[in-house]
Amino acid sequence: MKKLLIALSAALALVSCQSLKEEWQPVFTFGDNEPAAFVPVTEQQLMSSYGFTAFTTIKDLKALYRSPGVEIKGNIWIRGQVTSSDRTGNIYRELYIQDETGGIDVKLGKSSLYSEYKVGQWVYVSCGGLTLGSYNGMPQLGMEPDRTSTNEYETSYIDVQAIINEHVFKGAYATPLAPVVADEAAVKAACTRGYQHELWGKLVTIKGLRYGNEIFALLYPNSNLPHKSANPENRVFLSTPQSGPVAGVDYTWGIDTWALSKAGFISILQSGKLDAAEVGSGSTRYGPITGTPRKYLPAGKTLDSFGMDADMTYKEILVKYATANYVSHYFKLGSTDIQVRTSGYAKFADEKLDPAVLAGTATVDITGILTIYDGSAQFTLVDEPSLSVKKN
Amino acid sequence: MKRLITILAAALCSTVLFAQEYTGGVTGTVVNRNGRQPVENARLVLMQGATEITSTQTEIDGTFQILDLPNGMYTLVITAPDFLESHVQVTVNDGYVKNMFNLSLTSMEKVAEVDDDTFSAFDMEGSGYNDNPTILFGANDVFNNIAGYNFSSVRFRARGYASESQDVYLAGVRLNDAITGYSPFSLWSGLNEAMRSKETVNGTETSDFGFGGYNGLTNIFGNASNVRKGLRGSVLSNSTLYRLRLMGSYASGMTDKGWAWAVNVSARLGGNDWIDGVYYRSFAYYFAADKKINDANMLSFAIFGTPGERGAQNASTQEVYDLMRDNMYNSNWGYQNGKVRNARVRKTHEPVAFLRYEFKPSDRFQASATVLYRFGKNGYTALDWYDAQDPRPDYYRNLPSYFFDANPDMNRNNMVKYAWANEVWTHSKDFPALTHVDWDRLYNVNRLQEGRSKYAQEERRTDQRDLNFAATFKSRPNRWLTLTGGLDARVNRTEYYKVLADLLGGEYFLNVDSFAERDFGSSEAKIQNDLDYYLSHGSAEKIGVGGKYGYDYYAKMRSAGGWLNGQFAFGNFRAALGGRLGYESFWREGLVRKGLFAGLDQSGREIVVDGVNLTTYDSKGKPVTSFGKSDVCGFLTYAAKAGLTYMFKGNQRIYANMGYFNDAPKFNQAFLSARTRNSLVDNLETIKTISGDLNWQYTDNGLNFRATAFYTLILDQSKVMSAFDDLQNAFSNFAINGIDQRNAGIELGFKVPTYVVSNLFLQGVLAAGRYEYISNPRMTQTVDNSAEVVMENVLVPYWKSSPVYPKDASGNITVSDPGAYEKMQRHYVPSTPQLAASLGLSYNYNYWFIDGDIEYFAESYLDMNPLYRTDYATAGLDNTITPVELEYMTSQEKFDPAFLVNFSIGKSWYIQRQYQLGFSLNVKNLLNNRDVKTGGYEQTRLVDNTVGKERFYRFDPKYFYMSGTNYMLNIYFRF
Repeated sequence: MKKLLIALSAALALVSCQSLKEEWQPVFTFGDNEPAAFVPVTEQQLMSSYGFTAFTTIKDLKALYRSPGVEIKGNIWIRGQVTSSDRTGNIYRELYIQDETGGIDVKLGKSSLYSEYKVGQWVYVSCGGLTLGSYNGMPQLGMEPDRTSTNEYETSYIDVQAIINEHVFKGAYATPLAPVVADEAAVKAACTRGYQHELWGKLVTIKGLRYGNEIFALLYPNSNLPHKSANPENRVFLSTPQSGPVAGVDYTWGIDTWALSKAGFISILQSGKLDAAEVGSGSTRYGPITGTPRKYLPAGKTLDSFGMDADMTYKEILVKYATANYVSHYFKLGSTDIQVRTSGYAKFADEKLDPAVLAGTATVDITGILTIYDGSAQFTLVDEPSLSVKKN
Repeated sequence: MKRLITILAAALCSTVLFAQEYTGGVTGTVVNRNGRQPVENARLVLMQGATEITSTQTEIDGTFQILDLPNGMYTLVITAPDFLESHVQVTVNDGYVKNMFNLSLTSMEKVAEVDDDTFSAFDMEGSGYNDNPTILFGANDVFNNIAGYNFSSVRFRARGYASESQDVYLAGVRLNDAITGYSPFSLWSGLNEAMRSKETVNGTETSDFGFGGYNGLTNIFGNASNVRKGLRGSVLSNSTLYRLRLMGSYASGMTDKGWAWAVNVSARLGGNDWIDGVYYRSFAYYFAADKKINDANMLSFAIFGTPGERGAQNASTQEVYDLMRDNMYNSNWGYQNGKVRNARVRKTHEPVAFLRYEFKPSDRFQASATVLYRFGKNGYTALDWYDAQDPRPDYYRNLPSYFFDANPDMNRNNMVKYAWANEVWTHSKDFPALTHVDWDRLYNVNRLQEGRSKYAQEERRTDQRDLNFAATFKSRPNRWLTLTGGLDARVNRTEYYKVLADLLGGEYFLNVDSFAERDFGSSEAKIQNDLDYYLSHGSAEKIGVGGKYGYDYYAKMRSAGGWLNGQFAFGNFRAALGGRLGYESFWREGLVRKGLFAGLDQSGREIVVDGVNLTTYDSKGKPVTSFGKSDVCGFLTYAAKAGLTYMFKGNQRIYANMGYFNDAPKFNQAFLSARTRNSLVDNLETIKTISGDLNWQYTDNGLNFRATAFYTLILDQSKVMSAFDDLQNAFSNFAINGIDQRNAGIELGFKVPTYVVSNLFLQGVLAAGRYEYISNPRMTQTVDNSAEVVMENVLVPYWKSSPVYPKDASGNITVSDPGAYEKMQRHYVPSTPQLAASLGLSYNYNYWFIDGDIEYFAESYLDMNPLYRTDYATAGLDNTITPVELEYMTSQEKFDPAFLVNFSIGKSWYIQRQYQLGFSLNVKNLLNNRDVKTGGYEQTRLVDNTVGKERFYRFDPKYFYMSGTNYMLNIYFRF
């Protein structure tokens, strides 16, 4: 018994000694201290570390743009405060920053950026090596475009973390910027000036917007199949007629939500409100979605691609492969159209617009990131409509 | 001529002996010091000085007898395979036959015994794959003895069977996991001394301890009087799992007062040379006592547990291994304050206690009854995140291949990003936060969130309450019949749930389903993991450290049965016949109501919240529910076994066994998504197995052979695997049923003296088989965030085989007709070499042993997923099946063969005839071969975002590799 006690004591002594606690390797075994808190980088640190003396304004950066996109040369740095958040899911893989001269879309190709970049936080971007581009007139800062046959963009996402670490630096937290208030004249001027105007990419409030009774959405019956413009058989537009809107006519297709989540989309399909929507695009129109691919399409590959679904109606195919869908609602600012485009993946996608707004009896003040698309102004809501759309 | 000389010599000897007519002699029983089990075929040489007087061998019960000895002093030298040689002084006087009673042999500690610790804990990410090897025990079987340790490094599975088919008993109670069937070795890992005493049968052989299946049965005695008497201590170090094991044990043996007690404690600590992040901080305790009330009655009690934690290893793709230039890369860990922190840590403490009563009124009858209870916790940590970037460093979007692929159809052509990603992964030391888990970032993201953690470390718990009862008897009513039988019953309640292990700098984690939120974000009620909490509190629950969240349900199981074996002895024939009958049932009981699968309320009404009807129905019109009791699955199980043996003169036998088994499927194979709802897999059937083997065994004069041929059909197996499906944008479950396989092959084992150098033996084993699938099963795919059935009971037409097409010199397929294939290539049961061989030399003299072996492993295959073998996957997005797609998508990967060289050396010293000091050193993989795949699995995901939109591509599979040169050193001291 004595021997046993001695042996056990020796074993316990060995086990408890510090060297064994460390286990010959610095292994974390819970209870250790938490990592040090994040320390924001300062402008002085950046300047001394990277050898530059002043920041370039966003306006001056945008002035460097040449179509079809330009790679920034030299040690050019911009700074700005974060104005966007992807918390609601309406913004995806993009970070908008702005300084006093303008705003820009930094294409950080990561999700949940709001978890790492707070609204109002200072961000510094080393632009050398990045590509300044345009997406239908909207300034964007990203990587060189993908060299693929299907690429349509002048920039690509900055989605390699090492590149982000090399180019994008997190600064101090600060009070979020107040939105710039723009009136119709300012919006018109911005649309006329295009790419270089300072409003694009900024957090903007536009007051007194009235609902336009029009929406725009592009649906893909089978989103897994090709659905570019060369595949009209796999496209359904919800929009005004090509001949243009007729005053007083409702072109909303009965969609009274900001967008269509997957569930919302299925629900409205099943309600029959979209039954008259036509398959096809441009001048190629096949017929309403109550028809089948076999009825509409010529034999051959186009039809075959629908395979076993060829005898289902397009409506049934839309339900089968349903995804969330964006919706653009048109608002009027005087005579100027402003779209509010909302992603179907936004948490507020199925939130309804105020009936009074839909009825045109109330105007709204909307705050969001103002962007340009083919010469027209578009709003991207950052927060939920309850915060960013104020009924008058 | 040789035979003639032998006969003449024998005649001469007998003449001499007859002339003398002595009456003295010596008898006894040779037993294993470990457990006092008889040692069959031990060789006994009686020496007088340097002269060999005579020799003999022990019988099957370990007994021996040497007669006709003149008075005098002799030395009895006892040798047996895998035991240390023993020298015993014997004095024969007055012409008496001296009974030496028990002569114990000490087993040769070539290496520490193979147990659960021998294998890495692999993190299979819920893939549904099981990579557990079979743990073979040496016992007195030459094949198991050599293969058990030598093949463990490649995670060898005996006869290609799944590890859960190996029946493991403790104190007469079958302890395979009630829910999964997995073998329970981890319950006592680190208690080698306490659990050393065991009995094993192979294949379909019958056993005294239980009915068993077709993959052998091991019964571990586990009671105090079966622990080796005395005080023992050992220090063990190895380089692949943990740095140090300290073990101590004491066993009193049976005292004069009828008590025996034993303790065993151990600590396993430290990291290793090969896999970063894998570490042990595990302890073990064991206490047992036996009370022998009288010669007929004994009570035994034991309690043990293995509290502790161990870091797990993860599998990665070959791209990652190549970039890291390290096939042992483990993506589970990262630095936190300069220390290695593993995200995947198994934390367990599952005590087991049993009470056993043994009744042995005579040598002809014995019976026992055992009650065993297992309880405690079994946890496995993992990272959890909500609306945040994937924290896994080897996530496919972080790898160079995501940015460039030579195949233009993959649409990945950004060389700048590729170069950057490549730079990161090829210079990982410069980018530790990008090639390992970036704990600092996780903390800092959480600190930004005003209390709500985006990242957390969860602990997935599988806590069992397992009550078992087993009673057995053994009766020998006459010389030719031995009856064994028993009754058993089991009640198991396993709770599956998650608790928050670490908030990583945050204050709470919100109990909502992030997958559901993407599709049903507008309905707050639908995304709730605990709808009832939400309805009563008006918001989702904020979970703190230690709080339950996510899912919470019971898996409940009941079983009862009885079995009877008859063993018959007629001359040189032995026969066995047995049967088993039982009933097994299980069900799920949800403890929380999930918003997505709310079911009906207590009054049987639909649940409507804020105008949204949360009640959904399956295709049969039944409400889909996460809460409450599911349908009960019940199965009548039965089995039959028969065996026939012919004993030749000497120690040679031929024996054959066969059996039919009708076993219940397990709980984890029965529910479409047990995490989320009560829905059962359709067409759930019992698993039918027909198995037979034919064996030859020879053991004599140091020669030891065993040859076996076996054939097994396993029909109607099912399994459920889960993975994120990019096409459904949701976590998917794939339930497969109707998997049939055929396992046929041979096992050879031998150990023979070289006759060139005394005490030098040639030894080897060969396991060669074909373990192949022989059916095309059906598959049902569901997703976690809706009741929708994505694919219902579709055929998996390329599961058992896949087409191989003619190709030109460049390897391009030359035909366009999918039917114009050259052959259909069979698909094989994965995760074990179907050809494994070992050949070596073993030297044993004067308490030294030296072993050297070379090994060859081949015909090993990657685990397949069913999705790739469906028409859906092969047809691609254009619904057109081409030979190129078909061959690419359906083929099964075969691993390269491997050569290994192992070496062992050991020695023990007896000090003052009272103490024993010894060591064993085992060095494996001397050639430092680092390219040996031991397993892996296909990711159940398809690449669909191609340019052509015509076909799918596979995601890269994930692999596990064997470590390079590694050692295990054991130093032990015994009183």
